[in-house]
Amino acid sequence: MGKEIVLKAGNISKSFYEPEPFDVLKGISFEVKKGEFLAMMGKSGSGKSTLLYVLSTMDTDYTGDLTIANIPLAKKTQNELAAFRNEHIGFVFQFHYLLPEFTVLQNVMLPALKLKKKSIEEIEEDAYKNLNLLGLKDQALKKSNKLSGGQQQRVAIARAMINNPTIIMGDEPTGNLDSKNAQIVFDIFRELSGERGQTIIAVTHDDDFAKHCDNIIELSDGMIL
Amino acid sequence: MFQSVNNLISLIYLTANKRQTIVAMLGVTFGISMYIFMTGFMTGVNDAQTDLAFSTIAHIKVYNDGPVDESNIVQRVYPSAVVHLRHSKVIKYTEGIKNASIITDFIKHQPEVSKYTTQVNINVFFKNAGNKVNGFISGVEVDEENNLFSIAKYMASGNWSDLRQQTDGMVIGADLAKSLGVKVDDNIFVLTADGVSKNYKVIGIFKTNIVGIDKSKAYINIGAARQLLAVNPGYVTDIQINVQDFKKTKVLANRLKSIVKYKVETWQNANQQLVAASFLRDIIAIAVSLTILLVAGFGIYNILNMTINQKIKEIAILKAMGFSGKDVMSIFLTLAVVIGIFGGVVGMGLGYTISKLVNKIPFEVAGLHTLPMAYNVKEYILAFSFGLITTFIAGYLPARKASAIDPVNIIRG
Repeated sequence: MGKEIVLKAGNISKSFYEPEPFDVLKGISFEVKKGEFLAMMGKSGSGKSTLLYVLSTMDTDYTGDLTIANIPLAKKTQNELAAFRNEHIGFVFQFHYLLPEFTVLQNVMLPALKLKKKSIEEIEEDAYKNLNLLGLKDQALKKSNKLSGGQQQRVAIARAMINNPTIIMGDEPTGNLDSKNAQIVFDIFRELSGERGQTIIAVTHDDDFAKHCDNIIELSDGMIL
Repeated sequence: MFQSVNNLISLIYLTANKRQTIVAMLGVTFGISMYIFMTGFMTGVNDAQTDLAFSTIAHIKVYNDGPVDESNIVQRVYPSAVVHLRHSKVIKYTEGIKNASIITDFIKHQPEVSKYTTQVNINVFFKNAGNKVNGFISGVEVDEENNLFSIAKYMASGNWSDLRQQTDGMVIGADLAKSLGVKVDDNIFVLTADGVSKNYKVIGIFKTNIVGIDKSKAYINIGAARQLLAVNPGYVTDIQINVQDFKKTKVLANRLKSIVKYKVETWQNANQQLVAASFLRDIIAIAVSLTILLVAGFGIYNILNMTINQKIKEIAILKAMGFSGKDVMSIFLTLAVVIGIFGGVVGMGLGYTISKLVNKIPFEVAGLHTLPMAYNVKEYILAFSFGLITTFIAGYLPARKASAIDPVNIIRG
């Protein structure tokens, strides 16, 4: 089961022109299967984060083909991509990037409120469920900037999960956490992948993290090794 | 509720950091209140000056200019003839305006005319015992005169309306009263150019603060003036006309000139210096309003632009979560417009309050008691719309910029 392909990257290239012309991605192609927990590794500057942002549709400045959930994305407009991200992609940044003026609960609910597929009551219930799973239920009504770094990162994961996205992407999701919190976050990813069949792509340079993933893509100088 | 995720976000932004929201609103408030106060003050000053200027002169005056010198009839027929004529005399001409009632009837039906009155003006000597002062008496229609020139407002003592009944009563200028040494209820002796003399009783003293008027003019009832000259009850020397818009006298004056054979004089013709002053004041008023609008506009723009630019990272996060450029626009335009409306309403209130306060500052010069102030609804609406438009633009430009770029460019720097 779960062997259908959810993400297909074809010959993706990207160049920076400032300050000097530089090919950061050089014709990258690979596939990700449903339920796969994929780690992308590489040295700093290898292009792994850049690739992740291209995959996340937040960066449209590239050439090549990108298909997620059987939807070709290369020619879509920004607004179409926003709607697509909303439904299909949950993103966890290295820094939590919660909205500091919103409560934990509001932060988690926002993507679903935008999607408008459920009623507010259902969304709230889902949000509480996610927060409970991540051990944050009692923090729900606090302002998000009142939480510790590890807690905030877990809230960000709860937010990424709220719309049951096709793929959760993480840009060094444990990179800014101490080892204990990093372990907690990693365990959560592991659990999501294992028990729910959630597809996850995470950029990391933590070997321990990568070791436990299903698959590792290693990048160097914009190419897959 | 489902439609309003964006509004919810706007609301949270507005209420989460109240200090910042209030600072942004104050930016709008100050701009608008300053504009309202300054234009109100300037308009007030201009109106006060116009009022002062027209306290003694009407917009258009019709009077008998005296005869044209037509003694040299030979030259009229033979323009090239050499004529030697000495001690020519104008034998007889009519003084005053003949058939004034026909003219006033015509004036009454002109659409531009707002008010008019007729006068009998007489040059006289005022005498109190040995004290002799030359000046002139204006025989007036008591109520119409007050309508036009609001003399009742300038009464230092006595009652203007008492002139209506008291045919031997006289209201005289304050400086004239002083130089004659008379007070209310004292008698005053008047001598006309024709040698007629009569006693009047001072029933009031006015002070227009225009010295030339205050030291030489006196009012009596128009009937009394006719009696003094021994003329018929239709006799009139001047017709004073006010029009709706004091700047537009020309058309009516030209129309009058075509049917009236007397001198038709507009205030612009008679007082070039007032025309210049009024024009310059208008220019200054426009320049100052524009400057305030510009400065206030920049203030509003900067403060709101800053508010939104501080949130640019959060815009990127919203977009990463799937909010579209349109959503971002709607969130921040709502933010801007709410700040604009609240700041604007408070600004109008503050502007009104400042105007009221300044309007209470004593200023006892030239018949004024406090600093003048105008309360023009038009200016309030203009200021409010201006504030709203500026906040809208100040919200729109950065929001548009933020909505158009890839979120990754903001998030990754």
